[in-house]
Amino acid sequence: MNGPSTLDTYGSQTSFSSAGTGADATLVLTTAMSVAAAVIFLLVMGAVWLAWRRDRPGSVWWIWGGGVILPVIALGTLVVASTFTLAAIGRVDDGAPVIEVTGHQYWWDIVHDPEGRALRDANEIVLPLNIPVTLSLKTEDVIHSFWVPSIAGKMDMVPGRINRMTVTATEAGRFRGQCAEFCGLSHPLMAFEVVVLPQAEYDAYLEDLRSEARDADTAQLARGRDVFLNEGCIACHAIRGVAEGARLGPDLSRIGARATLGAGMWRMNVGNLAGWIADVQDMKPGAQMPSYNHLSGPDLRAVAHYLASLK
Amino acid sequence: MQGKPVVPLTLAGVAALVLVAITLVSVWSLAHPQRDPVGNALAAMGARLDGVRSWYAQGPVEASPDWQAMRLNVPGGDAARGRLAMVEYGCGACHVIPGVASARGTVGPSLDGLARRAYIAGVLTNAPGDLTRWLMNPPLFSPETAMPNLGVTEADAADMAAYLYTLGPDA
Repeated sequence: MNGPSTLDTYGSQTSFSSAGTGADATLVLTTAMSVAAAVIFLLVMGAVWLAWRRDRPGSVWWIWGGGVILPVIALGTLVVASTFTLAAIGRVDDGAPVIEVTGHQYWWDIVHDPEGRALRDANEIVLPLNIPVTLSLKTEDVIHSFWVPSIAGKMDMVPGRINRMTVTATEAGRFRGQCAEFCGLSHPLMAFEVVVLPQAEYDAYLEDLRSEARDADTAQLARGRDVFLNEGCIACHAIRGVAEGARLGPDLSRIGARATLGAGMWRMNVGNLAGWIADVQDMKPGAQMPSYNHLSGPDLRAVAHYLASLK
Repeated sequence: MQGKPVVPLTLAGVAALVLVAITLVSVWSLAHPQRDPVGNALAAMGARLDGVRSWYAQGPVEASPDWQAMRLNVPGGDAARGRLAMVEYGCGACHVIPGVASARGTVGPSLDGLARRAYIAGVLTNAPGDLTRWLMNPPLFSPETAMPNLGVTEADAADMAAYLYTLGPDA
């Protein structure tokens, strides 16, 4: 689980290296189209050069050939190729396990559903390696768009609809995704990470999601837990075994184990957590969470340390 | 009577051994000019003497040391490494820090011009050792502070202090 975050890794958000079947098909189509476009451009420039050299008009068949027949062949090929690619990308495997991803302003709610029991996480989608998984894409508010360039996407998350997409991650590692549809003030700050794990580690992750969050085992962590319980955090956030049920904000049961804070935007550490809690609206303008700048200094420190300890 | 010749004989023996040794070393040195230990030793001594001579030649020191710069010198601190460490520890979530990526937080004070401040957080004097120790464990010095203990190592703290002291020392 603990690799360097995508914030430290150059090239973790690119469609030029594919680590999933959907991105694979898109990359092949893009490359073929670019090569074909370059060849056609050179042919046209060659024809222009020939016309320039000739001192009399050419045959009318140049018009028919270059103006009608060639475009029909090129565009027809393109239609066929892109139709097959789209069909391959859009294929939904009904037997595959389902992961539900719900877009919110400006974060991602993740529900794993291995045997009909919702296991909730946020902002970090863990996928099993080489196993098809169906992503069930929804939105809680406005239109968002799910896009992990190296693995799959884009697919819009439209209010009132459930869009589904089966993806197969073919490479272990961390990949960065991004909301690809303008969704409000902090749209550029709405990213996430996809973590692809081998089956055994994936099962261990699901087991972790079944169990209660780590206990507060020092005086300061216990104080942080009390701040979390008493200052209103539980109205929106759930921590398994401490306060459950709230779904307005991201589930925090394993927040300290994530590599990033604020939906893929900052490194997860006590410093960023404290700054985030005290001044969310400065770090992520327009987020639903209010800035908790009324906490006393020691309370702020305690709750930041407590959240960082939840692994 | 029997003991009398012993001392001169011993002296003669030692002298002979020394002569033989000097001869051997000289021959070896001549045969290996690159690894000449005697010549090297003499050259080193000469260089040292040159240093002493030039020190005397300079005469008394006119300019006093730059105490202002030395006051802000953090032993073992590397400002370039410190700038990167401040990104890693998330300092920018609360502080404006010129030159540190996306450090534009308004939770705590801006760290611009920190080198000119008199106190750190109002509780410690603004000196390299104090700043380093503050970065390692702020609540130890200011129990009511909102700044958490970020688990900063001493080496990282020295690096960050070195960077912070590049902010506005001469403005």
